[in-house]
Amino acid sequence: MKKKRYQDLESRIRALLAEPGYEGHPLREGLDVLWQHTVEQLERLERISYLSDAFQSMARQRERGMVERYDRELRRLAKIVRISDGYQEMMRNVNAALKESSSRDPLTNLLNRRALMELMKDLSSRPRALSGGFVVAMLDVDHFKRINDLYGHDAGDRALVELAEVMRASVREGDHVGRWGGEEFLIVLPQVCLADGEAVIDRMLACVRASRIQIEGDSLTLTVSVGIAQHQDEESLSNTLSRADRALYLAKQAGRDRVALESPDLPG
Amino acid sequence: MKDLTISASQSTPAITTDAAEGRMTLRGDSYPENSFELFGPVIQWVDEYLASTEQPLTITLELQYLNTSSVKAMMDIFDLLEAAHGDGRDVSVTWYYDSRNERVGELAEEFKEDCSFPFAVVSR
Repeated sequence: MKKKRYQDLESRIRALLAEPGYEGHPLREGLDVLWQHTVEQLERLERISYLSDAFQSMARQRERGMVERYDRELRRLAKIVRISDGYQEMMRNVNAALKESSSRDPLTNLLNRRALMELMKDLSSRPRALSGGFVVAMLDVDHFKRINDLYGHDAGDRALVELAEVMRASVREGDHVGRWGGEEFLIVLPQVCLADGEAVIDRMLACVRASRIQIEGDSLTLTVSVGIAQHQDEESLSNTLSRADRALYLAKQAGRDRVALESPDLPG
Repeated sequence: MKDLTISASQSTPAITTDAAEGRMTLRGDSYPENSFELFGPVIQWVDEYLASTEQPLTITLELQYLNTSSVKAMMDIFDLLEAAHGDGRDVSVTWYYDSRNERVGELAEEFKEDCSFPFAVVSR
């Protein structure tokens, strides 16, 4: 509508300026100058709106680009975090596996000496009223040297593995059976008095005695001797262990395949 | 172009580059104290190699453990490869892992996501 009006005006002015009859008229020159000025102003206006539009679309594009880049970076960051968490979890699992393997005896898969010590330290650091106290049982396989001499060390190792399984299966659920070294084992019995501990060990001795261990086609009966001692408040761990060791010696002296006690009240 | 030969340490992988052959290898664990110091030259090498020649680039990885900044550095390298691949360049990655540690392979697969250039995760 506006364009039409402008076109009409333009053709009217041009017609007036082209009319030879107005040649030399003072208003004609004025109109000519005014018209040229108007045309220039219009061109300028058009240029300005063109530039302004261009800037606006550039700014919009830039904004869109920034949003895209931001989204991309966000996705990238999420990926880094996800993968990094994966590596951390992997490290944790490796640590757990290492801890597990460092606390096990590789032959019998029972707790090893280090793990037993840690366990007993932990138990002894708690007041007996809270932890319920604990009894340690020191075990030695009777005449084990004969098996090694007769059948060789590999067979001896296999016998230890079978024996370990029998012992582990015949104590209470919360008792900890470990290999102390060679043919020596140690059982930690938490929350138990000396007499009850003795009963647990007696049952275990019966299971060991009743089981037949197959070696090189022979069916053998193994027995173990056990010395037990109850850890006393304020007593050092090494003292409890040497009392159990002394009781073990008594069990061996008394004819093996039995449990002997070391009561803290007895001189020794 | 100057090649890189960085020997492995307890916390950093062995890194070698061969511009003549178009190869780069990273092998080992990576949890450097200063990852910018370690990976800065590596990223720069990849960038310069891709700019200096039209030859292919083959990257071989035998990385085990990566800390967060190493994960980011690897993604920076893969981004360069992705851009080069977009320009029609012949770039590829082969990531070898120990079959006893499946998790490493799974994580390599996660890196591979959104990479459109040839990226093989191989157990051995």
